[in-house]
Amino acid sequence: MTRELIKIMNNLLKIKNLCLNIKSNSDEEILKNISFEIKKSEVVSLIGESGSGKSLTALSIIRLLEKSCKIKKGEIIFSGKNILRIEEKEMRMIRKKDISMIFQEPMRSLNPVMSIRDQLKESYMDYNSKDINQEIIKNLISVGIKDADRVINLYPHQLSGGMKQRVMIAMAIACKPKLLIADEPTTSLDVTIQKQVLDLLIELKERLNMAILFITHDLSVASQISDKIIVMKSGEIIESNPSNIFFQNPENLYSQSLLESSSYKRKLKKNINSESSDVLDVKNLKVFFKEKNSILSRNFSYIKAVDDVSFKIKPGSTHAIVGESGSGKTTIAKAIMGLSHVTSGNIKICNKNVLTMNGLEKRNFRKNYQMIFQDPFSSLNPRMRVGAIIKEGLCFLRPELDTKDVDKILYEIIKNVGLDESSLGKYPHQFSGGQRQRIAIARVLVLNPKLLICDEPTSSLDVTVQKQVLDLLMEIQDKTNISYLFISHDIKLISNISDTISVMHKGKMVESGITSDIINNTANDYTRNLLQSVPQIKK
Amino acid sequence: MFTFLLTDIFFYMIVISIILYVNYVRKTPDIRETWSYVFRNKTGIISSVVLFFFISTALLDSIHFKEKLYDTEADKYVYTSEIKSLLDIILLPIHKNSEKSYSSPFSSHLYSKETVKFTNNKDKRIYPDLLYKGNHNKYSDDNAYNIFITGSISIIKILVLSFFIYIIIFRREIFKNNSFLDPLIRNKVFFTSLFSMSLITILLYDLGSQYYILGTDKVGEDVLYKSIKSIRTGILIGTLTTIVMLPFAIFLGIFAGYIGGIVDDFIQYIYTTLNSIPSVLLIASAILMLQVYMANNPLEFENIYERADLRLFFLCMILGLTSWTGLCRLLRGESMKLREVEYVQASQTFGLNKFSIIIRHIVPNIMHIVIITVVLDFSALVLAEAVLSYVNIGVDPTTYSWGNMINAARLEMSREPVVWWSLFSAFLFMFVLVLFANLFSDVVRDAFDPRANKNYE
Repeated sequence: MTRELIKIMNNLLKIKNLCLNIKSNSDEEILKNISFEIKKSEVVSLIGESGSGKSLTALSIIRLLEKSCKIKKGEIIFSGKNILRIEEKEMRMIRKKDISMIFQEPMRSLNPVMSIRDQLKESYMDYNSKDINQEIIKNLISVGIKDADRVINLYPHQLSGGMKQRVMIAMAIACKPKLLIADEPTTSLDVTIQKQVLDLLIELKERLNMAILFITHDLSVASQISDKIIVMKSGEIIESNPSNIFFQNPENLYSQSLLESSSYKRKLKKNINSESSDVLDVKNLKVFFKEKNSILSRNFSYIKAVDDVSFKIKPGSTHAIVGESGSGKTTIAKAIMGLSHVTSGNIKICNKNVLTMNGLEKRNFRKNYQMIFQDPFSSLNPRMRVGAIIKEGLCFLRPELDTKDVDKILYEIIKNVGLDESSLGKYPHQFSGGQRQRIAIARVLVLNPKLLICDEPTSSLDVTVQKQVLDLLMEIQDKTNISYLFISHDIKLISNISDTISVMHKGKMVESGITSDIINNTANDYTRNLLQSVPQIKK
Repeated sequence: MFTFLLTDIFFYMIVISIILYVNYVRKTPDIRETWSYVFRNKTGIISSVVLFFFISTALLDSIHFKEKLYDTEADKYVYTSEIKSLLDIILLPIHKNSEKSYSSPFSSHLYSKETVKFTNNKDKRIYPDLLYKGNHNKYSDDNAYNIFITGSISIIKILVLSFFIYIIIFRREIFKNNSFLDPLIRNKVFFTSLFSMSLITILLYDLGSQYYILGTDKVGEDVLYKSIKSIRTGILIGTLTTIVMLPFAIFLGIFAGYIGGIVDDFIQYIYTTLNSIPSVLLIASAILMLQVYMANNPLEFENIYERADLRLFFLCMILGLTSWTGLCRLLRGESMKLREVEYVQASQTFGLNKFSIIIRHIVPNIMHIVIITVVLDFSALVLAEAVLSYVNIGVDPTTYSWGNMINAARLEMSREPVVWWSLFSAFLFMFVLVLFANLFSDVVRDAFDPRANKNYE
């Protein structure tokens, strides 16, 4: 009896058979029978791919669902009260005092025209009291902002992404909530900052004795902080287990595949002929952007996006450029492709200098090096059919082919990237993210390039899809001996697929060499820091 | 003999290009898909039927000719200097004769009392009877009864007519499947709106030949006829202005946005300068210049119709020149955004030149903005004409236009008893046209917006 009571007392939040659907489509349930509990000062992670309903679950707890969503049945009990039944006024008090939320995008969650002080004020109960300033400063210091008395007067755009997320956390914990809902709080942050934010969350949880509902798609991040893991797939909970049990042997097949894909391993390693000449040879590449100080002055200051970078790629090998956002890795790709100007340096592809090439010669040479972009949703023209998209480069760069040949090549390539022949007549919006990336790959592969630049080709995809796309790329490399220049922020992923690696930091190359050497015993502090920040799955 | 006024030629060109576009749409499956949304949507169907009636009226009014007359003195056939349109011939029973002065709708006498000499030499102040309509009833002396009979006959006429047309069009389906109502039920919204519009048209025609439905104006002219004639002016200003403005907006907008740099600066300076000049001032000065020109060169114009027409054309030009900046700015922003989008960069890596990128990637992706703005601007321009005529810098005073009617109503509203029907009919016609143009543009916007929630109702 007493044990029962203690158990009930310990339960902070209890969700029972929550069902939700969207009004316009009342037959399909978006959430199906969701039930779980969160105990006091427990960290529960909701894991799932995009569209699995994890954010909707969080929003129904705090009752901020869009109007088109309708909760059909079920109850959400928070410290003894059914949240779905109470008045909006009472709910506001709960949001203010007991449940807070932090969002994925710190850039968009802060109001750009309010100073940090004013934003934080809103989250206090008595925001007119005199010593509110002291409170705010104390709060900011507690989330790890050292010069808090300076920061409170700043505006959001003057802060970095990590700082903004700290401010968001400070707002959320201002009233010492019992439950903090964190919706992908680290997804848009660099790994080093991600680690700091995670550490901060763990520390706050201990200090304030609050429970955290942590929503993420990244298993390794979840393993860092959670006590319990809940896996969701298409609106259903398919596994719910304590953290240690889950990571040692997940019950569900889908969870297993999630775990597997989150640590991608390349299947075969082949020998690379180190004698053969380089496919790509970048020497002392510099890309500076001029920044005018004012219209009248003649002084220019330069932003050094890429500063003195050199590397080489052998045929059939994969070279990776790793760095945090703003380190200039995408600028290198653009400079090679001719999408950005080059201040100085040399770029040789197959021993030909592409910077000095002109007109027809360059046009004919372009088919040798191609690029796939990060976001498959914006890299395909929404008003062209897939067939026309793939054909575009082919017709332009290999005009010697006649229509029959082109069609033959199209059918062949669409099968090679694992899509149906009928896809050629469809429009990009009819495909999922992974399929779109396959189309983007097909578009460049028809040209038989010797070098393919992949600019974060998988970072906007779900983990399982990510794995499929990487498998496809590796399979193509084994078949055609193509070279990849792989650009990514994810050093863990890179270490598994690349042969050589360059680490970028603020436009400069801090280290370059064979992947295994650098991963296992790096000489550089920055690289070491980067490697240590990568969350590993704790077992 | 057919004569072609300047605006007629442009109007034909617009109609031809619409037909060509429809043909192009029918051949291109994806655009056909988009447009078919418009014609599956209730609002879309109704508003396009109404707009169709307006546009056909304007088209009939754009076929002009001079009549051949036998000159007895010279003993040969000569052409009249008066230019008539096909619509004038059709509406002959409505506007054949004109009264002396104001009369209210459906009235049988003039609006103000006059002194009339009677046979017994007694002067009397009475409301004189109308000369041509209002008390020349066809079926009965009782006005209400006569209106009822005329209306019933019109309804029977249109019912019989539509029955036969329906059978002729769907004869195959009807006799094959033995189901008379099937095509009717399938397109019930279309048939209902088409039927109601035809009914309104024929009622106006039949009643309009016996009564002044919307009264008469100061010189005794039928207001209904004036309002119908104004449709052409309104539509012409709405469309012709758009045609003038589109090339500026599209070319300059895309070049500014896509090429950037100095070109962008230059184009931006042009449109900011143009924008900072009050457009009314610009229009007023242009119209005054034209008037001076016409006064100095009277020999260049054969008759008043050509002068009025030139002024209308000139007004469209100058309105177009002042109104391209808004769309240009929108398109500049959009092309700037598209320039950075990855599919444009992807085609740059294929080595496509700027021109092909603009044609292949930029233009198709900004077309929805163009179509939406054009349809929205149309209604704004119809209203602009009314405002400009009100301040006397609009169309020629002899041109039938809603603006001129409203301008005249300024005095009519201040007299006692008030003459309200001119203003009312101008308002009514303008309101219907602008309302349905707006509804139509709403549907078009939804159709071209990929994010819009398209449930076919």
